[in-house]
Amino acid sequence: MATRNQPAVTQPKASRVAYSRELLLGLYRSLMKCRMSDEKARILFKQAKFRGNFYSNVGQEATEVGAAYSLRDDDWIAPSHRDWTSNIIKGAPLKLCFAQLFAKDTSPDRGRSSPAHMGYPELKVITPASSIAGQLNVGTGVALGIKKLHKDSVVVAFFGDGATSIGGFHEALNFAGVQRLPIVYVCLNNLWAESVPIRLQTALKNLSDRAKAYGFPGVSLDGNDVLAVYDAASQAIVRARSGEGPTLLECKTYRWYGHSEIDDGKYRISDEVEAWKKQDPILKFEKYLTEKKILTEDLKKQVAAETTAEIDEAVAFAEESPFPQSEDAALHVWS
Amino acid sequence: MARKPLTIIEAINEALDQELGRDERVFILGEDIGLSGGVFKVTAGLLDKYGEDRVLDTPLAEGIIIASAIGCAMMGLRPVPEIQFSDFITPAMDQLIQQAAKLHYRSAGGYSCAFTTRICCGGGGGTGLYHSQENAAWFAHEPGIKVVMPSTPYDAKGLLLASIRDSSPVLFFEHKRLYRSIKGEVPEGDYTVPIGKAAIRREGSDLTIISYGFMVTVALEAAETMAQRGIEAEVIDLRTLSPLDKETILESVRKTNKVLIVHEDKKTMGMGAEIAAIVTEEAFDDLDGPVMRVTGPDIPAMPFSPNLEKYFLVNPEKVVAAIEQLAAY
Repeated sequence: MATRNQPAVTQPKASRVAYSRELLLGLYRSLMKCRMSDEKARILFKQAKFRGNFYSNVGQEATEVGAAYSLRDDDWIAPSHRDWTSNIIKGAPLKLCFAQLFAKDTSPDRGRSSPAHMGYPELKVITPASSIAGQLNVGTGVALGIKKLHKDSVVVAFFGDGATSIGGFHEALNFAGVQRLPIVYVCLNNLWAESVPIRLQTALKNLSDRAKAYGFPGVSLDGNDVLAVYDAASQAIVRARSGEGPTLLECKTYRWYGHSEIDDGKYRISDEVEAWKKQDPILKFEKYLTEKKILTEDLKKQVAAETTAEIDEAVAFAEESPFPQSEDAALHVWS
Repeated sequence: MARKPLTIIEAINEALDQELGRDERVFILGEDIGLSGGVFKVTAGLLDKYGEDRVLDTPLAEGIIIASAIGCAMMGLRPVPEIQFSDFITPAMDQLIQQAAKLHYRSAGGYSCAFTTRICCGGGGGTGLYHSQENAAWFAHEPGIKVVMPSTPYDAKGLLLASIRDSSPVLFFEHKRLYRSIKGEVPEGDYTVPIGKAAIRREGSDLTIISYGFMVTVALEAAETMAQRGIEAEVIDLRTLSPLDKETILESVRKTNKVLIVHEDKKTMGMGAEIAAIVTEEAFDDLDGPVMRVTGPDIPAMPFSPNLEKYFLVNPEKVVAAIEQLAAY
């Protein structure tokens, strides 16, 4: 099917694939779980219930859910600092995700990493460092391992527009292209790398153009259309599983809030923020599901109530969990 | 029946060959290691014998070379990447320091990456500013990665096998001036040399010289010269820079009461500084004189023109002068 220099395709048609009711509702629940957990995390931080910082993903859920929803347990996610919710999508228990925020001993890394830097080894979410594009490199290395072991699992790597500038991005994608590795690179282009606007980051209009330099397909799409992302990611995952190599998906989206909870984001003009909030991926999907008669007001309320209850239980678990002992800082230096 | 002695290159090649044959999880990767057999021919013959699946020529990109090793190690393979010259390890720093050294720690043991990186280091053969650096001390400062540097063919094979089989990431430094300059007995079969254990190369009771890599041969030469004058130096070959074998060091200090550290690397913040601190902290009452160091100078790198290179290099004469000073206490 694919040649090494397949041209970029824009806007894959979501209507090509038939979506089951089960899938659509599953995507919706996942979106709501991510959104509500993220907003809850922000509230908890404002209430000084946990310290450090938090990197909200609100507004970008459709990209994360669309890309990661269909992954198997033996597939990998290589997240960045903004992808705390990718653990939720992969299936990590919500109570462990909140224990992570609170840096409790019950969190997967026993309080070592800062709140949003969560990984979950049991389901192959790679614990991130803060180094930008570090996860692209480690994820690419894992993909090489998958290929060498003749497995058909895949790696989905998340990163932002800023990450496409740093050298590690180039090395990882170049190597993945040469070796035809089973990896999908998902770029959340939200037009801002912290406070640096895209016009100062790159001369490109479409970051998917970068894929051409590495000899594999690049696709630009509406990152706030969960079905468009799901469709494009599904195709890319199939490509990867069948040994045809990597894909770069540029998902155009927007983060509603600042770079982090201690960044007010005032370098962005409010008109831009408001315009993007109107493109809320969840509102868009709710409208679609309502038109398809899959989502009713009752079901909406039910999902919200169930999710709230789950989150409340998770927060209680996190609050009640013990902190690690001070001396535990000396553990796990050596394997 | 004894076979002929091997050079360090032959010893390392044999270690890689035998481990590739013994353990199907092992593969090697790096620039020029396959088709060319390595710029020093250390990996010669391995591509022909094991094929592209086990011997991978990589793009020119140290970051992804190391990251590939990290990721493959996470998948349960045992990669052995090569950094062609230690001067070129810097593009891989983020992967080595922020990823490899910290992955196991930051995941509270959930992830680990067992892999050994082979690195060619050191100068003295007119190789210039960027093919002469001996920077192992940078990495001895990083908990989470082990750092070793053998000085004999026997240790080269045994320590490399131990490193590949270790469950933590290991940096295996090979001093290029040792590659062909010495030969030694190397058992043909399987054996390991333990990481974290120094070796006493020469026994003596007047002072302890602590060294590693090529400098061990320099220290031994200086010790022989001083023996003619009735001063017997004990020479310790560290073999492992991290974790340091404190026990062997301190036991020797208790015996000789004087310490001289010799390393090719620049003086400030080098291994000598660390060992001096340890000895002073833990064997103060056993010292009869200051802990001394003979090292490279604090200049950016080993320059090319022969006289300039000579200024940088530690030679037996510089070590003899230091021993004389220390012996006078």
